[in-house]
Amino acid sequence: MKQDTSPKRWRMTRRGFLIGMGLAGGGLALGAIFGLPAARLALADMFADVINIPSNMPREPQLWFTIQPDGRVTMTMPKVEMGQGVHTALAQIAAEELGVSWEQMQVVQSSSLGPVADGAGTSASYSVISLFPLLREMAATLREMLRTAGADQLGIAPAQTRIEQGFVVDADQPARRISFAELVAQPRNWETPTEAAPLTPPERWQIIGQPVPRLDLPAKIRGEAVYGYDARIEGMLYGAVARPPRLGAKLRRAAAGTARNRPGVVEVVIRDGFAGVVAESRLTAYAALNDLELDWELPPPFNLAELQARLAAQAGSGTVIQRQGDAAAALRGAGVIEATYQTPLAAHANLEPQAALVDVQPDRVRAWVSTQSPVQVARTIAEVIGRKPETVEVTPTYLGGGFGRKVTTTVATEAALLSAAVGRPVHVGWTRTEEFRYGYLRPPTYATFRATLTDDGRIAALVQHHVSGNVLFDLFPPPLRWLFGSDFGGWRGARLIYDIPNLEVKAQTVDLPVPTGPWRGLGLLANVFAVESFIDELAVAAGSDPLDFRLRHLPDTATGNRFRAALEAVAAMAGWYDQPPPGRARGIACSIDAGTIAAHVAEVGLVEGRLRVYRVWAAVDPGVAINPDGLAAQTEGGIMMGLSAALFEQITIADGRIEAGNFDRYPLLTIADAPEVFVQILRSGDQPFGGGEPPMGPIAAAVANALARLTGERRRQWPLV
Amino acid sequence: MELTINGQRYTVADEPARPLLYVLRDELGLTGTKFGCGAGICGACTVHVNGQATRSCQTMIATLAGAQITTIEGLADGERLHPVQQAFLELQVPQCGWCMSGQMMTAAALLAANPTPTHEEMIAAMRYNYCRCGTYARIGRAVMRAAELMKERAG
Repeated sequence: MKQDTSPKRWRMTRRGFLIGMGLAGGGLALGAIFGLPAARLALADMFADVINIPSNMPREPQLWFTIQPDGRVTMTMPKVEMGQGVHTALAQIAAEELGVSWEQMQVVQSSSLGPVADGAGTSASYSVISLFPLLREMAATLREMLRTAGADQLGIAPAQTRIEQGFVVDADQPARRISFAELVAQPRNWETPTEAAPLTPPERWQIIGQPVPRLDLPAKIRGEAVYGYDARIEGMLYGAVARPPRLGAKLRRAAAGTARNRPGVVEVVIRDGFAGVVAESRLTAYAALNDLELDWELPPPFNLAELQARLAAQAGSGTVIQRQGDAAAALRGAGVIEATYQTPLAAHANLEPQAALVDVQPDRVRAWVSTQSPVQVARTIAEVIGRKPETVEVTPTYLGGGFGRKVTTTVATEAALLSAAVGRPVHVGWTRTEEFRYGYLRPPTYATFRATLTDDGRIAALVQHHVSGNVLFDLFPPPLRWLFGSDFGGWRGARLIYDIPNLEVKAQTVDLPVPTGPWRGLGLLANVFAVESFIDELAVAAGSDPLDFRLRHLPDTATGNRFRAALEAVAAMAGWYDQPPPGRARGIACSIDAGTIAAHVAEVGLVEGRLRVYRVWAAVDPGVAINPDGLAAQTEGGIMMGLSAALFEQITIADGRIEAGNFDRYPLLTIADAPEVFVQILRSGDQPFGGGEPPMGPIAAAVANALARLTGERRRQWPLV
Repeated sequence: MELTINGQRYTVADEPARPLLYVLRDELGLTGTKFGCGAGICGACTVHVNGQATRSCQTMIATLAGAQITTIEGLADGERLHPVQQAFLELQVPQCGWCMSGQMMTAAALLAANPTPTHEEMIAAMRYNYCRCGTYARIGRAVMRAAELMKERAG
């Protein structure tokens, strides 16, 4: 399936790049060795709220591009495509610097073994941010090498050439030109540039910034795109795994019972803490689970109210994550405004449940998995079935939604255990019930606020006590947990952006008996809901217009100015100072995440007493958008998902068990409740910031603020409907 | 028993208590039709049975003798996309794409029965198909655009 792209020979260049020649088919390839690019360190300082920038690209040659003799440029993707359009955006960056036409670009997905294996996985809106500097530099280097070769062929100096759509062109006589394809088809001693290749200046960008169509959509439109649930190979079987009756239950003893007698059952696999069935069909495998004899050790039951009480009890403890002046002293006395906001447990509800196909053979293991973390999955499989990591190859498929739920994919380990037992490929695809009950959830949050205002209506002091369940802590070893004190995934979005002379934000992380983890944006949506709702309450208390109140409190910094531009843009789009239609009200909110600023206005009304969101306006400043239509799509989608979460969703627990077993108990937003969405993309620089999560940040707060304006009654808990 | 899918005849094991979805995906390799909930709620598995949008996860194959079944793989006319597919591509509707076969099959059935739906009629037809990526604004526009394309093609 995968073409042979391993170069016959690698040569180290002065700048840490590797050049490969003599490719199958006679192409030229460029790769790089890199550990932690300096660019990432610089970027880390730019995002106080995002300090987890894992980078564990292996120190092996990484093959990024091959130029084929027919002129096509194949780019290998380290990041997975889960609908965020990342393959297209990364290819745009590369095409721009290579100087080829967009039509020449094609992409293939890297596996966990390379050629561009990325241990960091695809998450946290970091793909474009982190790869932008590296990709540009590598593509520009390859372009300059081609330029030198082309100039040589044309008998002119490199300075007399220009690069045009995959050709080296004689600037004086444009008819004299030679294509990249011709250059790489000839044997040549490739020279590496002695100086850093110049990057194309932003004012000359022709592909970056264009709304080019997504590369993955033609296959998706025809139903031909292959996702983890669709992975099929010859001779495969289907697996199913026994699930505990209560959260935290351990399998004490298991026996095959009558399962082996059921026609179509191939094997019953029982290991420490694990019982599963392999069968000729998925339906048979699941049916046979009922034939097993299972003895579970049950932990004490608990219910949702107990979890929420645990959070509330921790308010005020934890680590300080933001401090200015002396907020505690300033809050002694009268006139303190207080409020508490809560968000519930929630599911990712990715429409493609967890799925993996794994083929364990004596000499090697191959897996096709719907995962955001192929390298981690490969390591885990190797560990669980006792193989060397370099013999396990995980190829990520398209993902039918990720949203953080496919950062950890135990389904691949389950399929590996089953496949190892039968020596044949086994596919495991979870049911919707398994997806709801046996994965992990977005943790609940509990945030209390206290503030005072000055006589002229400014915020004098503000304290926030933030509590959340784990988001990233479960992925951390204990020393790191101690070092960080609280889970920065949980408090993502909880720091205030406003200029407040006395400010303190404390964050606490609480272990809960329910597995919780990353959900799109981590804490962003819930925390911005709390912060920006409270800011709105203060605006009301100060007798100010909520937009004016925000503008007045923005710091006089570059970031403050970006916020001002976004707020003013969204206000202009929505006609903020005009009367909304009768029976409706508007609310505003803003946020920053992964460097990207978003400002939303939501217009709401009540239909037979039920909240209805009619229109949403969004101004988004991602620095610069690689693909504006792609970013608009992420904004529209993030708004819908955020609305769904805030309006309708919550996971409830009774008797130690998640109650929702399907969408009948966990309905999502539908097209009937979807608002009209208007998006404007702003530009504030030449470095792209995050796109997958940040644009959803303000939506829940904007809606809650609109609702409070409409009814005069403040809602501080989801679901809002 | 025999099933007629996208104009082709398939012989499948005569175990009638199997939902069509599993037969399509796991036996016949037609994985364009997606599993989402297995309970007829999310719409990801929508196919056409005699032209009607139908949840294949809730349809036992025993009920399908002699029926004309169409899946996403059979929606286009060879290389030529169905107007619904063309509109979904033109407006860059899909994100992850998992729900899209079901969305497009629902839309195509709507437009076959009602080539000029009003906005309300479009919503009424599309409201039982979930999209977790939240592409609803574009889905709505694309279905209306597909109606235009159908008219253009007919004219």
